[in-house]
Amino acid sequence: MDTKNFFLTKSKLKELKKEYEELIVLEKQKSSEGEAPKIFESEDLNPDFVNFQDDLNFLRSRIDDLKNVFENHILIKNPPKDKKNVIDLGAKVKIDIDGQKDEFMIVGTLEANPMLGKISNESPVGAALIGHKVGDEIIVPSPVKTIYKIKSIKYEIS
Amino acid sequence: MTNVLKFLNQVTKLKETPRQGWVLRGIKNPESIADHSFRVALMAWVLGKQKNNLNLEKIIKMALAHDLCEVYAGDITPYDTILPKDPKKRKEMLKTWPKFTESQKKKISEKKYIKEKQGLEKLIKDLPANLSKEIKALWQDYEKRLSPESRFLRQIDRAENLLQSLEYWQKNKNLPQKAWWVQANQLFDDKTIIDFVEHMDKEFYKTHKPKH
Repeated sequence: MDTKNFFLTKSKLKELKKEYEELIVLEKQKSSEGEAPKIFESEDLNPDFVNFQDDLNFLRSRIDDLKNVFENHILIKNPPKDKKNVIDLGAKVKIDIDGQKDEFMIVGTLEANPMLGKISNESPVGAALIGHKVGDEIIVPSPVKTIYKIKSIKYEIS
Repeated sequence: MTNVLKFLNQVTKLKETPRQGWVLRGIKNPESIADHSFRVALMAWVLGKQKNNLNLEKIIKMALAHDLCEVYAGDITPYDTILPKDPKKRKEMLKTWPKFTESQKKKISEKKYIKEKQGLEKLIKDLPANLSKEIKALWQDYEKRLSPESRFLRQIDRAENLLQSLEYWQKNKNLPQKAWWVQANQLFDDKTIIDFVEHMDKEFYKTHKPKH
């Protein structure tokens, strides 16, 4: 199991805590009665729960993963006013990549989802952007040269 | 056993379906979806062995299951709805990854998830309950990045794709490489995979560097 620190936004932490509480209920229910409570028959809130019902081991392993995250998490917070012009975890950054516009949010590895524009702070691009300001041009080491120009930085961490 | 046989018969489609990304780029006789899944499983095993926190049985099963949905959902690419018919414009667009707004990214991702989930459910619905539930749980874990195994495997999936692009580039130096590297630098954050990718760079581009 990972023992490193996990950087999380408040909203992600809340989401994981909600999942954890529901999984604990489900696990107790499964262990004692072998039946899932009615609420989990619905896929409305989180479709994953339905699939956990019949796999107690998977369920417990997810509960352990979440416990580990809670014990080792660091909350991503909005930076102080004088640091809001610098890219750090939680920054939403508008970028020009060789003339093409794109937008990223820099997050921790647990929240990273490049398909949704959420880039890990441990990825080469995430790591290279951190500490830079609007107007900076960054070359990320790569076989084909790529220049990232920073157009704007904002923090809207929820 | 009849339903297991039926399932395996249906999965044959993955051996016969070329990966769409290569078809769009004009690669002749490209790899199939099953070819890709095979090497993803192998890479997950051999690279996963270098880490001490992963359940290799789970990750190999997950690798074998991650594209099963494509039997019915097909191989969906981000270019599907936006690729122009004009061959010149098409070629130009394929040099980079398409860019979308935040809300477009969300919409595309949700639509893909629903289509693939339905595809998987259709494929596994007649399997014995314990097996179909195991496959679905592994697939959901992969899609939702729930465990260390799925987060590692998602990067292995892209690393395999990058390796394949380098192998095609070796045969055809006109195949644009930049898009793969831009994606790689945004996507990989696992140290084992970043190290492996650096090795790919050194080995494949020893004598020639890609121009674009």
